[in-house]
Amino acid sequence: MKASRRRILADLVCHVLQAILPASLRPWGWAIRCETTGIKDDTRALLFALDSLRGLLPQAVVTHLLHCVASLTGHAAPFGGGSITMSIHDHMMRRPRAVGIACAVGGVALGLVYMAIAGAPGLYLGMNVGALMVGLAALALLGRLNIDGRYWQGGAFLVTAAALLATALFGTKVDGAARWVHLGGLSIQPSLILLPVMLVAFAQNRNALMTAGMMAAIMAMALQPDRAMAGMAALGLTTLAMRRPDRHTIPACLGGVAGLALTLARADTLPAAPYVEQIFYTSFATNAVAGMAVVGGAALLLVPAIVGWLHDPASRATYAVFGAVWGAAILAAALGNYPTPVVGYGGSAIIGYALCLLTLPRVASTGIGVQHHRRYREENMPIDGDLRVGMA
Amino acid sequence: MTRKRALSPHVRTVLAVLLDARDAWSHGYELARLADIKSGTLYPLLIRLAAQGYLEAEWQQPTEGGRPPRHVYRLTASGVELARAHPPAQPAMPVRSAREVTP
Repeated sequence: MKASRRRILADLVCHVLQAILPASLRPWGWAIRCETTGIKDDTRALLFALDSLRGLLPQAVVTHLLHCVASLTGHAAPFGGGSITMSIHDHMMRRPRAVGIACAVGGVALGLVYMAIAGAPGLYLGMNVGALMVGLAALALLGRLNIDGRYWQGGAFLVTAAALLATALFGTKVDGAARWVHLGGLSIQPSLILLPVMLVAFAQNRNALMTAGMMAAIMAMALQPDRAMAGMAALGLTTLAMRRPDRHTIPACLGGVAGLALTLARADTLPAAPYVEQIFYTSFATNAVAGMAVVGGAALLLVPAIVGWLHDPASRATYAVFGAVWGAAILAAALGNYPTPVVGYGGSAIIGYALCLLTLPRVASTGIGVQHHRRYREENMPIDGDLRVGMA
Repeated sequence: MTRKRALSPHVRTVLAVLLDARDAWSHGYELARLADIKSGTLYPLLIRLAAQGYLEAEWQQPTEGGRPPRHVYRLTASGVELARAHPPAQPAMPVRSAREVTP
């Protein structure tokens, strides 16, 4: 390749970088372009531009994604243009719920990739997209309500536990397991929608009513029986009891472990449903890309817990339980014939994940390094003509 | 301003280079060469330091005709404190001085 071509390619890379960077980071794109132009050696200039693109591309993608999510949740202002110094890292630290929404969208998208490659019916893809929209709409609606949870969560826990017990007693039975209800022609698994949010909410507020509701929910899982959800309750509550041992968490933890033991003692002969269960294995047999989409999508579900744990120490119990709950669901899907949450076919887990995000703080309690916001004025940026002269 | 997380070796090295430059302005390519890191690592790091108020940046017009302007950087007072509190972890690999690098 001739040197001049390298120079042209370097400038092209800089153009691409400037085009993909969000408004808040665009001056940095200018800076890199000017810097690249100032490097005399063409090869070094090209390498400088290419590596800058590599380094800033993830930030650009995440910023655009978070901007969309923030618009959805009514947090658009902090992402507004002009503030060059608000880094992506700070955005992620400060908005665990927005990170969770991005991960939900990413998880569903990777699930669609898997299903499309694996040849799933188009209806399945549509159902998952529909579930995501329902989940995000519910999240947006409920997230805007300013209700003090302490006063109504006890009642909500009892109603939720009653719904789970009703599913165990009157729900649709398949091979002795009663985990589903039919609503409007759709088969819904209430436990996947309700239990995760209960568990993470229990990590935040606890009282006698909520503990009673949690015990009833555990009993419902044992009655259905559902090893995956009983395991989710056991792992979530054990994690909570280790972080916050008190008169509510320890009995709930013991109840959760007992519930799991009961489900393990009973036979579970349900076969795997295509595109729902065992897809960690079947996806790789279909195609490596499909397999990576499934694994990547499942891993995304844990990202909010990891990000929150690292950057919001005040709410670590919440993030630990969130991670344990969804980690248990993923583990169950990997070990047995249980639904692969969010990436596999099935709207219940998608709605459940979206609702579970309600329990994550909108804004993290720490705002490390966001105290100083400086603005770059557009008039201080070089004009394209300067660059052209420099390049010439 | 408090920083809760440990600084990475790259951040420490870049801070050391900027501290070494004192009040002088440094530009991106120069920093990448002095700190011996790639531009893809440097710029996200600069963006973060600027966001946290440790770095100030400005555009400088070229001294030579026909050259592009440059985006240049130097530490703020809090950045100097941070750099002093977090020297590079391995002094066996010294940071090159700006004087050792040809323009």
